[in-house]
This record gives sequence, structure tokens and C-alpha cells, in this order.
Amino acid sequence: MTTSVNTLPDYRRKLATNRLGLWLFILSDAFVFAGLFVSRFFLLGFYARPELNQILGLVITVVLLASSFSMNRAETAMAYGDRKNFLRGVLVTLVLGVIFLIGVVGVEWQIAPFSPSDGTAASLFYVMTGFHAFHVLTGVIFLAIVYRNGRKGLYSAERMWAVEASTVYWHFIDVVWIFFYPALYLIGAPVF
Amino acid sequence: MEQQIDPNLDAKKKAAWQIGLAVFVLLFALTIGEFFVGAVAVNWWFILIAIALLKAFFVVRDYMHLPRLFKGDEEEH
Repeated sequence: MTTSVNTLPDYRRKLATNRLGLWLFILSDAFVFAGLFVSRFFLLGFYARPELNQILGLVITVVLLASSFSMNRAETAMAYGDRKNFLRGVLVTLVLGVIFLIGVVGVEWQIAPFSPSDGTAASLFYVMTGFHAFHVLTGVIFLAIVYRNGRKGLYSAERMWAVEASTVYWHFIDVVWIFFYPALYLIGAPVF
Repeated sequence: MEQQIDPNLDAKKKAAWQIGLAVFVLLFALTIGEFFVGAVAVNWWFILIAIALLKAFFVVRDYMHLPRLFKGDEEEH
């Protein structure tokens, strides 16, 4: 038996509500990141920043941008019913997300010439990158679930809300880093 | 029953992919640009913020598809 909630018009109506809910969540999450972003300038001003590896910062930023591109490609593929390229795109995004995490937590945190106990500004660097890395980790977990469900054939061009939601969430993580990258790596001269 | 396949679908998908690629190339170029601005002019924070805003605009519009939110329940993917 097919219930009314499973009809395509009902699904689309629900989709509009889901989108609104997702964007409200993203907006509320963005305020937390905005608070951290403003705190960085409150503590260090516009002319000072932590001493960080510039090449590593550039590389992990490009990796995250590339992951957004591959996720956009995956979502587009699913929207046109191309499951093979969808799965490939999600897998590439997953790998790039893990590389980003290794770059920040596994490398940058280890080579940074300061620790979280070296003052408020130093600890803020770990809070900003750590909170962002936690979001990347949750994004990777969401994408792994979407990949698994995609392999089972649970999505179609008409019914792919989970794909759209995880894609928007992943791009949001990218947008946050777009602001964190210059704030942490580029603006001001290295002072600690 | 034989499935009806829209012959334009593949072309539409490739066109959408090309937009995604163009946005990525733009984001990459802006990132390289801000890297060099940060390296040579540590006091030009306003330019770096402007570049970040521009990059965020493209991601929100072209990757996150913010306009979909305002198109109601008629919008397809």
C-alpha cells in the first residue's frame, strides 16, 4: 500500500520545509563560528596572527575547496540520475575531507610553535580549528552514511533530500574555512 | 514498460558540471591571490576580507544553491 506521504507532490512539499529547517540550523551554527571569528580580531587585532605553516595552510584550503567541487559534482550527478558518478564524487569528497582533517589535527597542531596553554590567543587558534575540524568530522560521517545508502540505491533524481542536506552542510563547512583561513593564516604579522 | 529518457539530460548535467568547475577554478584563483596578498602586504586585511566574502558568495550561490530556498515546493534539483 502506498501512503499519501510517499507521493511525489507530498515529498516536494516536505522538501521545501526541510530546506528551511536546514538553513535555519546553518544560520544558528554560523553565529557560533562568527563569534569565534570576531574573537580572533578582538584578541589579536588586524595586525597580528599566530606563526603558522603558510604552505600547509594553502594546501589544506585548496583540498577543502576541491572537496566542495567534487561534492557539487556528486550532487549534480544524482540530480540527473547518474548513480555511478554520484558515488565516485562522494568518495572523492570523503577522502579529501579526511586529508583536510589530517592536515589540521595531525600536522598543523603538531608543528605549531605554541600550545593551547600559551595564552588566550593561542588557545583560540585551537578552539577555532578544533571546532571546525569537528564539523568536518561530522560531515565526513554524514557523507559516509549517504555513500552507503547510495550504494544500496536508496536515492533517485526525484528523492535525494539526504544527498542535498549533506551537500549543503559540507559546503557550509567550506564557507566557514573561507573566513578562517585568512583570519588565522594571512591577516597580520606572525607574533607568537 | 520502456523507460522514457530525456536526450537533453546528459547535456544539462554536463552544463551543470561545467558551472561547478568554473566556480572551483575561480575559488582556486582567488585563494592563490589571497595567499600572495597575505605574503606581501600584512596590513591589507580589508582586501583579504573582501576576497573571502566574494568566495563565500560564489559557494553559497552556486554550490549551496541558496536561491532554491525561495522557490517553494515546485523547484526540482
